[in-house]
Amino acid sequence: MSERITITIDGKQINTFKGANLLRVAKDNGIPIPSLCYHKKLSPTGACRLCLVKIAGTNGLTASCTVQVKEGIDVIAFDDELEILRKNLLDYLVSEYSEENDNSYHDEFWELLKRYQIDDKLNRKYSSVKHLFKTQLDDSSPVLTYDSSKCIKCFRCIKACEEVQGKSVLSFTDRGISSYIIGGFGVWNESECDGCGECIQLCPTGALVEKPHRNEIDINKIDAKIKTTCPYCGVGCQIELWVQNGKIVRSIGVENVMPNDGRLCVKGRFGYDFIQSKDRLINPLIKKNGKFEEASWDEALDLIAFKFNEVIEKYGNESLAGYSSAKCTNEDNYIFQKFIRTVFGNNNIDYCTRLCHASTVTAMLRSIGDGAGSNSIEDFETTDCLLVTGNNIIETHPITATYVKRGVAKGMQVIIIDPKWTPLVKYAKLWLQPRLGTDVALLNGMIRYIIHNELIDKNFISNKIDRGWDAFEELKSLTDKYTADYTEEITGVPQEKIIEAARIYATSPTSMIATGMGMSQQVTGTNNVFSLINMMLICGQIGKERAGIDPPRGQNNVQGATDVGASPINYPGYIPIGNDENRRKVAGIWGVPFESLSAKPGLTTVEIAKAAYDGKIKALYIMGENPMVTDPNLNHVKNAFEKLDFVVVQDIFQTETTAYADVILPAASFAEKNGTFVNSDRRVLRVRKVVDSPGLARQDWQIIQEMAQRMGKPMKAFRDESEIFDEIAAVTPMMAGVRYNRIENEGIQWPCPGENHPGTSTLFLEKFNTPNGKAKLNPVDYIAQNEKVNIDYPFLLNSGRILYQYHSATMSRKNNSLNAFANESYVLMNPADAYKNNFQNGIKVKLVSERGELQTILQISDEVLEGELFMPWHFSESPVNNLTRDELDPLSKIAPLKLSACRVERVMF
Amino acid sequence: MKIMTEEILLKYKPQKNNLLQILHEIQTEQPHQYLPETELRKVSKYLNISMSSVYGVVSYYTMFSIKPRGKFIVRLCQSPVCDMLGSQLIANKLKELLQIDFNETTSDGLFTLEFSECLGLCANKPSMMINKQAYTGLNVDVIELIINDLRNESKNSDN
Repeated sequence: MSERITITIDGKQINTFKGANLLRVAKDNGIPIPSLCYHKKLSPTGACRLCLVKIAGTNGLTASCTVQVKEGIDVIAFDDELEILRKNLLDYLVSEYSEENDNSYHDEFWELLKRYQIDDKLNRKYSSVKHLFKTQLDDSSPVLTYDSSKCIKCFRCIKACEEVQGKSVLSFTDRGISSYIIGGFGVWNESECDGCGECIQLCPTGALVEKPHRNEIDINKIDAKIKTTCPYCGVGCQIELWVQNGKIVRSIGVENVMPNDGRLCVKGRFGYDFIQSKDRLINPLIKKNGKFEEASWDEALDLIAFKFNEVIEKYGNESLAGYSSAKCTNEDNYIFQKFIRTVFGNNNIDYCTRLCHASTVTAMLRSIGDGAGSNSIEDFETTDCLLVTGNNIIETHPITATYVKRGVAKGMQVIIIDPKWTPLVKYAKLWLQPRLGTDVALLNGMIRYIIHNELIDKNFISNKIDRGWDAFEELKSLTDKYTADYTEEITGVPQEKIIEAARIYATSPTSMIATGMGMSQQVTGTNNVFSLINMMLICGQIGKERAGIDPPRGQNNVQGATDVGASPINYPGYIPIGNDENRRKVAGIWGVPFESLSAKPGLTTVEIAKAAYDGKIKALYIMGENPMVTDPNLNHVKNAFEKLDFVVVQDIFQTETTAYADVILPAASFAEKNGTFVNSDRRVLRVRKVVDSPGLARQDWQIIQEMAQRMGKPMKAFRDESEIFDEIAAVTPMMAGVRYNRIENEGIQWPCPGENHPGTSTLFLEKFNTPNGKAKLNPVDYIAQNEKVNIDYPFLLNSGRILYQYHSATMSRKNNSLNAFANESYVLMNPADAYKNNFQNGIKVKLVSERGELQTILQISDEVLEGELFMPWHFSESPVNNLTRDELDPLSKIAPLKLSACRVERVMF
Repeated sequence: MKIMTEEILLKYKPQKNNLLQILHEIQTEQPHQYLPETELRKVSKYLNISMSSVYGVVSYYTMFSIKPRGKFIVRLCQSPVCDMLGSQLIANKLKELLQIDFNETTSDGLFTLEFSECLGLCANKPSMMINKQAYTGLNVDVIELIINDLRNESKNSDN
């Protein structure tokens, strides 16, 4: 901010900054000027008039919320005249207002009435006029209720929606005293509202209230309000969970801390009911004669220990594998990988990151040395240009998207590359819609334009790129054939758009890239990202603040799980297992013989299933994963799992995968755990225990430790999660300086190499994390897809996620509030294709690929190109992965979940 | 032939400051002189603004209606000046003649009764407008003539 100044309020000298908001300065300095329409996250409105003050030299009274302070101003905030006026204003307001209150919300208005002693009707001057006008009640939304009789028309909800969330869904209707707030044409659930509830959080009265648990919640009887980290996507929003009678009854966004500063999406605010679902696993279950029977922990763990040891004895160490979990904490994942490496004695540990950003991480590690996002979430608001590619950011990372939308309002230019329309298109300067699987060609075309028009950063190429101009020349000659015509021919994108996109990206003072599953989940996934990085490097759009590449992570702890070593090739901190020195160091900290740690790279997710099919893997230990929905070519996975001798699944629910288990172990959910997650911008965030686990459910890491003990290979015993984290910090150089006591209030972004290090908001400012500190260009050619359409399979199917569900939906679908928004599978088809096939909207269809088939509902939509289809993959009754391939990207072993040739048939009733 | 909403939209750039003009044109082109929700959705999509902000504007201005209206929209001035000079009598007479209340439409679809803010015709009050025609210096007898004229005119044009 600008220069420091001194102002006076009621005779008190206050140091502040020029231009600061007077009301905020007063409140921050303990001068309790009353207000209702003002909120520090919103632009001032000046509607309620309660914050009126006198400013020396200014005639009359001024609403302090509208004043930007200047040096030396002298303010009277409290005197008899002002207080009488405020009391009168409140008295007027309350005469139009309904005083019914069910104690389910915090009422700022009522607090002021008490403060001015007019909560008692006998003390008021004005009688109620409420009965003179019509009031409106909109109860149509699944998550909130609007009652105009409680509404003081302060604008906070409208501004919360527009300024904080960037959605602008709400508005006023009618005039004067009978005006009220509406969504849509007056019916909330028919509006664009996506249920994030920001308006509820900022409503000062009870006009907008949450619907879930409203009948039971009493804000005077809340037993605990505990801050923790949201368990859904990789944004890592800080939430405060309210507990009443041992039950979670509300989730609100924590203000003033990153990454979300109080903002939440519909999942963060209304997606917590799964925790106390009646479907939670509460007992260990053992399959006997094809049926699961309840068992004690002793019985279950002894059986597992016996069986795992038996497999080791019979088939050797290499015949076991583990899937760890992006939904579990760092502490759980750390113990899990240690278990696989020291108890199983191999490196066969992977998880669904393999099917997520493995290719992105592979390309980034090879080019720039780190696979994590180079920027901070707040940079999504302040960069000049954002290139969003294959990333439906509004639906998959709703809070990151709020920063983007706020940036657009201030002039940021957004360029979208996506074969499918996404809601961000409404905010974008440009939308390039390439055919599925043609990304490398498109990017090479942009690179060629940038090179030929001298939009490159020569300094950067000379100083920051490995082999400098030689490497550049290689890229130049490889991309030379991607002329505008040729690129348009392959991708279908009009060349003017390709040129404009290249120009904006290259010439903006700072440009950032958000890259998602559309780029990564392809057989050429790594090449796609190489291409993207090549363009970024020659433009010098990294290595400075607000520039770089960011892969928003899909799950809450995808970043952290890999950071702490849930990887077949890396120890915690991305330390390669193959290196003797690394193994010696890790063996020392873990207190195991160096020789006992295998140097052989382990199998990846899809490879584990294939090895099971081939009889090479005999036993599988799955923690918090649901491969029977998430893995490609599910029919093959089923066959593979059926061949396994012994499967243990540890989860919070029965899933499609537990059906294949021999033993199911009940685990604690995130709300029953202490620990940490790492979010997409590398923030190590605290997870805190809010409620007790149901039944006999236990902490994941404790189950693993107990299992090791019973297998006769005890691991170091930890007393609690903070002790585990201390060991993580010891093994993981980039988290060396992080301790629980440092992240109590707000997370720290790694790398944080020392206890006095503040963490790092932007990577690569000085150098890249490669051996010589320089970035590498990796020129790649466009390779046409093997999977092509033909007469039998004339469509290309794309898949993805939607806002209201999450991953394989084991958690999200246990929430009625979320299901009320979206609970049904569908496939999108272009209107021209529907017309050609004589298909009508809403008919039941069968999709068939070479691998399998499924049934779903047809939706006709111009969101997809002709010849292409799109399906959300959350819904296990229409499992998209029946259709997908398990062919792998050779470099990263990711599967091409975004492109499957298939046909569509009408299902006759 | 009426002009389709899509054609009207294409005449304007997709900027929200064109909203009022667009709404007026659409309403004029609708057979029942109102703004159906289906058309408002198109406007919201075209201008990239929320449905509620379109609706907020529509509900704010009395010139816009979200209910189907009659062929003749009678807008009686309710300014204090007209009121002092007997607009209430006119209002009662209109209700009696048409057998409807204000903000209602006759069952034959001919007349809709509305109040209007000041029409600016205070020199010769009380005043009203029927569609684009202003009528001033009203009294109950004149009203009856006007309404009967319009009824006849409509009958003749139908024949």
